Amino acid sequence: MGESPDAASGGAFARAWAKALWGTSYLPMTQAQLEALLRRLTDLLAQTLRAEPLDLRVGHRVATELVAAHIASAEALGRTLEVIQLRLIRDLDLAADDIADRMARLMAAVATGYARALRDRTLDEQESIRRAAMTARAEAERALRASEARFRHQATHDPLTDLPNRTLFAERLAAAVDAAAGSGRRVGLCFLDLDRFKRINDSYGHQIGDRALVAAARRVSRAVEPHLVARLGGDAFVILVERSTGTGDVVAVAEAALAALAEPVLVDGHDVTITGSVGIVERRAADSSPDDLMRAAGSTLNWAKTAGGARWALYDAERDDREQARQALSAAIPTGLERGEFFLDYQPLASLHDGSLLGVEALVRWRHPQLGVLRPDTFIGLAEETGLIVPLGGWVLAEACREAVGWTAATAQPPYVSVNLAVRQVRRPGLVQEVRALLRRTGLPPDRLQLEITESTMMSGAEEPVRALRTLADLGVRIAIDDFGTGYSNLAYLRDLPVTELKVAGEFVRGLRAPEAPDERILASLVSLAHALNLTVTAEGVETGGQADRLRAIGCDAGQGWHFGRPAPAENILARVKGRAPC
Amino acid sequence: MKISDRALRAMASRAEAGQNTRRGTDAPEGTRRGGRALQRPDWAPETIDVERPSVARMYDYYLGGSHNFAVDRAAAQKMVAAVPEAPLMAQANRAFLRRAVQHLTDAGIRQFLDIGSGIPTVGNVHEIAQRHAPDSRVVYVDVDPVAVAHSREILAGNDGATVVQEDLRRPERILAHPDVRSMIDFSQPVAVLVVAVLHFVADDDRPAEVLRTLRAALAPGSYLVLSQASDDGRGEAERAEAEQVYRRTDNPLWVRSRAELTAFFDGFELVEPGVVWVPQWRPESPESAEDAERAVFLGGVGRLGG
Repeated sequence: MGESPDAASGGAFARAWAKALWGTSYLPMTQAQLEALLRRLTDLLAQTLRAEPLDLRVGHRVATELVAAHIASAEALGRTLEVIQLRLIRDLDLAADDIADRMARLMAAVATGYARALRDRTLDEQESIRRAAMTARAEAERALRASEARFRHQATHDPLTDLPNRTLFAERLAAAVDAAAGSGRRVGLCFLDLDRFKRINDSYGHQIGDRALVAAARRVSRAVEPHLVARLGGDAFVILVERSTGTGDVVAVAEAALAALAEPVLVDGHDVTITGSVGIVERRAADSSPDDLMRAAGSTLNWAKTAGGARWALYDAERDDREQARQALSAAIPTGLERGEFFLDYQPLASLHDGSLLGVEALVRWRHPQLGVLRPDTFIGLAEETGLIVPLGGWVLAEACREAVGWTAATAQPPYVSVNLAVRQVRRPGLVQEVRALLRRTGLPPDRLQLEITESTMMSGAEEPVRALRTLADLGVRIAIDDFGTGYSNLAYLRDLPVTELKVAGEFVRGLRAPEAPDERILASLVSLAHALNLTVTAEGVETGGQADRLRAIGCDAGQGWHFGRPAPAENILARVKGRAPC
Repeated sequence: MKISDRALRAMASRAEAGQNTRRGTDAPEGTRRGGRALQRPDWAPETIDVERPSVARMYDYYLGGSHNFAVDRAAAQKMVAAVPEAPLMAQANRAFLRRAVQHLTDAGIRQFLDIGSGIPTVGNVHEIAQRHAPDSRVVYVDVDPVAVAHSREILAGNDGATVVQEDLRRPERILAHPDVRSMIDFSQPVAVLVVAVLHFVADDDRPAEVLRTLRAALAPGSYLVLSQASDDGRGEAERAEAEQVYRRTDNPLWVRSRAELTAFFDGFELVEPGVVWVPQWRPESPESAEDAERAVFLGGVGRLGG
């Protein structure tokens, strides 16, 4: 631009132009840069106004350059036209005859070009921001979907193992059962539980335990793919086998799961061995509800556990029914006691010498409101398992003592009453005080009470029960060993214990058919052994006169069984005592 | 002063206009949704609502851009009706940003972290920096998803610049962001730009701690560029009155004094002329720094020594 004679005046005009534009919009450049740009455009305009013919395209070009440099506002156009009109001709000395005409035409071109460029720029920017909003919205929606999926995943998966959780499993099982409604489709469940997993946590710590759990979960789910494996919590898992074709399918899945667990897991340098137990249930989906299936699988798992673990067990409806019935019965014992549903029958123990009534064994019965009268073999086992034997046995003991006292008045030699004591009762501290208080309360002489214990009671080797029995024996209470000959028949404790009587199990008596039968020889030896130890012998299960004769011949002291009388209510015993009815 | 007062009051009243950004960019008015936004779980994204004005797009309007919607323009025009200087405030801030980046580029800085960058309209940091030093690397950070989407479009094909969607109030997330880490080498000096955004960070959100977290990540020779709306120079009575106005709003603008702004530079050495009204910061000509307090914004640049 140095060649132009209007160098200085062009610079002054450009500065004035720049000043006019200041503040019209944000101009992203320095003042010097702005002035340099405007100086160039000034020169362009000046040249065009001097040149012939008038090139209006320059007007457009100047306008476009302004807008491209972000000098892009209505105000900027107004001020540009104003400053050019006011100063350009004068500052650059462009006066000519037709200059007003040329200027008007050029300015029209600048205004047109500017408006066009500004409109294009506005449209471009509008398009661009709209596109950005759409993109952002699409991204937000995608993120929302992803977060929903994540939320759903979190809600339906176990955080530790990332396996489906109880919620998802319940949904899938319900869906499987629903889908199978009305069809013959079968469904299977494997309820898997790690054996003694608590021990792994205890010996290695929970962190290692958790990792072992994760490893086990991964192995099992890989081994049984594509079946759904869910973690129900703790170390309990369940595998859903949809569209099973039969038990074999589900057993195969259980075996695959157990095999996958069998390999030791290396966790942080610890070789952790895990085994599992599986309860399997497999049936027509239409025959069952999800809850039934789960409950059945859970019971079956317990069978596998009870059998020692590291195995599977298959659901057995009969066994389950039985167990459920037992469960219900066991649960009803406390109420039965409260409502007085239990009562006692007594079975005579008769002398084999003269047939006199030596004693009676108290036998508990349960008058169940729905099931009728139940014999002890239906509920004593349950009571022993659950510990309810302690209150029940305590009641039997007290009731027997209470009733037996009444027989004293009837005869000079009233029979003793023999009561069975369960292991738990004997081992329980306070037995001595209980018996002593009972005798005091009822007034029953101690020698009219006989406590029957089983051999197994003594097998624990604990000293406390022996001491208790010795104290009771010292009081004068009779101690009998029940069912002798069927257990270990340990002779050592017979020497050490304050036992007064052996009750020989009925099995031996049933074998008494011919003289010299093996059972008779065993019985004979038992009797002579007992007598050598100063014990009396009562044979149980005596059903015939023949058996009674043989026992008498052997030297057995007393007998019990149908031959001598069936269990009967206390009144009958009383009548018999009074009437001296023969046994 | 009078104008500042009026502007501040208008800002407070404008807080009722909803924003789709919790922390916007540079608009001198603006709202934020307080601490509520922080309670939103990380995985629950915000929805995009272009029916609500955005401070980022309003700022674009003040600067003369058309990257805005009718709702933004309506809100901005309302603001301008109350405070005719609003566009001037935005432009003064943008010019401060330009001069600061120019200064830092001249000082040899080649890495820029622009937090609260908004809609990249005219005079972006990467344009300024890369014009002088093509190897400059720039990361833009904004919380407004539309601003981020737009930035991404603008930056497509530029290997030296990128954008991430994060919140200034979570500086540790910004610093840990993989795109930030891949673009910026924190063992080398970095310029952190927190321009016209800190007034959207409440005192409860601990702005000083935010800046401390950022500073801790920086190598010696790094810079901090700050600007924010200020009530500096007003009397106690005026200040109390202004605070009353803010208290009535859900989302006040956190106007701060020169002393508070200076304290934000804790650990940095202030570059001359220190914390000043933004037009006074290294002006190109004495005239351009006239009536500087009309810009409402105080700004400064600090250098991390050592």
